[in-house]
Amino acid sequence: MIYVGILIVVPLLVYLISFIWPPAINLLTRVIEANLLAAIAIPLALMTISTGRMNFGPQFYIGIGGYAAALLSIHFHVPPGLTMVAAALGGVIFGFIMSPMAIISGGLYYSLLTLLFPLLFLEATYIFTDLFKGDTGLSGVAPLVSTGNFSLNLLSYAFISLTIMLVYLFAMDKIFRSRYAIQMAAVNDDEEVANSIGVNVNKVKMIGFTIAATLVAVVGWFYAHYYQAFSGQIFLPLSFMLKIFMVTMLGGRTQIYGCVIGGYFIAFLEMILIRLTGDMSPVLFPIILLILLLVLPEGLFGLYRKRKYREYMPTLRFRR
Amino acid sequence: MAEILKVSNVTKHFGGLTAVNGVSLSINEGETVGLMGPNGAGKTTLVNMICGSYPVDSGKIEFLGKDITKLPPWKRCKLGICRTYQIPRPFPELTTLASVCVSALYGKDRPNRSFEDAMTEATHYLEFVGLFAKRNVLARDLTLFEMRGLELARALATQPKLIFVDEVMAGLNPVEAEKAVRLIGSAKEQFGVTVLWIEHVMAVLMRAAERVIVLHYGEKIAEGPPKEVANNPMVIESYLGRS
Repeated sequence: MIYVGILIVVPLLVYLISFIWPPAINLLTRVIEANLLAAIAIPLALMTISTGRMNFGPQFYIGIGGYAAALLSIHFHVPPGLTMVAAALGGVIFGFIMSPMAIISGGLYYSLLTLLFPLLFLEATYIFTDLFKGDTGLSGVAPLVSTGNFSLNLLSYAFISLTIMLVYLFAMDKIFRSRYAIQMAAVNDDEEVANSIGVNVNKVKMIGFTIAATLVAVVGWFYAHYYQAFSGQIFLPLSFMLKIFMVTMLGGRTQIYGCVIGGYFIAFLEMILIRLTGDMSPVLFPIILLILLLVLPEGLFGLYRKRKYREYMPTLRFRR
Repeated sequence: MAEILKVSNVTKHFGGLTAVNGVSLSINEGETVGLMGPNGAGKTTLVNMICGSYPVDSGKIEFLGKDITKLPPWKRCKLGICRTYQIPRPFPELTTLASVCVSALYGKDRPNRSFEDAMTEATHYLEFVGLFAKRNVLARDLTLFEMRGLELARALATQPKLIFVDEVMAGLNPVEAEKAVRLIGSAKEQFGVTVLWIEHVMAVLMRAAERVIVLHYGEKIAEGPPKEVANNPMVIESYLGRS
């Protein structure tokens, strides 16, 4: 709970500092970005464990959620509460349709397939430019919060993003301590053996995939309302995937708490690099991260886990 | 004794290679049946087909009178079929207790099964194979003998009626092998399972099995009591070659 307290205090502190030093308010955008990166990486951990495969295209579902929210908000003036339902529904439908991928393909083929879909979606936004507005993207999405005060708006967004992230974190923690986690872990370790001892592997994969896709789509919904615009060119290319991938790997693959550490680390590292190196930051950013990955193969959370038991699933509470 | 498993004319091809060719066999409840044959005879392929890991090209498999030829492995497990592997395949990242708990939770359906119940039951199977002290150790950190014990516990926790034990002696020293034989015998007594024991070591099957089936090049060449089979010229030829 102390860590949750810190996460709540940080945006408040930044907000208060901004009264003395106004530029500090920009730090809130980094906090929001960090929360959202973690909120994408946490469901991705669920997807990775339940399918036993690494999905390289979670941004596809950000696109689904973002475009669903933006299109409904702009063309039909649907309020944000309902666009969230639509975005989540989009995530459920597309997640369910895509989930058999985790059954019929594995290894490199699965990685390539998942990598391909966001790029195909991006192409589709150019082809159907009347609908998706291609390069420029959709603008004029209704904001989630409108207080009339920029700083207060940012603070509200920081807390909404934090709420989304914490809800995901606690929901996943609950799942990972339940009986369902144990079958997901079995599927992740050896799906053929899991199948032979009574685990319906295909069902586990499809449910895990669909839930994760839905949660990521909701993050897309938030992006659309937060920026009041949504463009596939920002979220669908490989550069955004690289950021998510780094959050996952640096935090520690399949470590939900590591995702939070990874999210904050990447968001603030990106900011520091842009400030210090300017145009060179897009090149330096992946290089620094690759070096960090070499030094910390189990991620930042791995440093903590090295002192503890090397079990990647949260230690089961039942001891008889 | 009632017939528990009936395999009729099953065939499996891998490209141009016929791994199992028209094999038929039946196993009665409570029996210990040995399945033997030289390397590449098709023993593991046959077990893979019965457990559902490989689809059958032709033929029929019945378990307790029900046609299970097209059923997926997890459904066969729930009916009461389980197996161990020739090369141990534990869940490397799970503790031994968690590994067995998966079987207790998702094996044969039990009414009102909770996570806590499954954990308690899992400890019982771990005690049986002598791994209770290592319940919190990751499966990948176990010795080969312990991994085989874990596989047996994991299979028993599904509450099977028929268990396939695939070359349990491979890689074990004589003391461990003796322990393994006793463990399987005791599993049969305590849990009332029927055993199909795939083995290279003839001496073991001579002692433990009531009936032995011999495969060679994917075909059944002999079946009967161990002593009779051991003296069968075709079996001797398949193992030692023609003089």
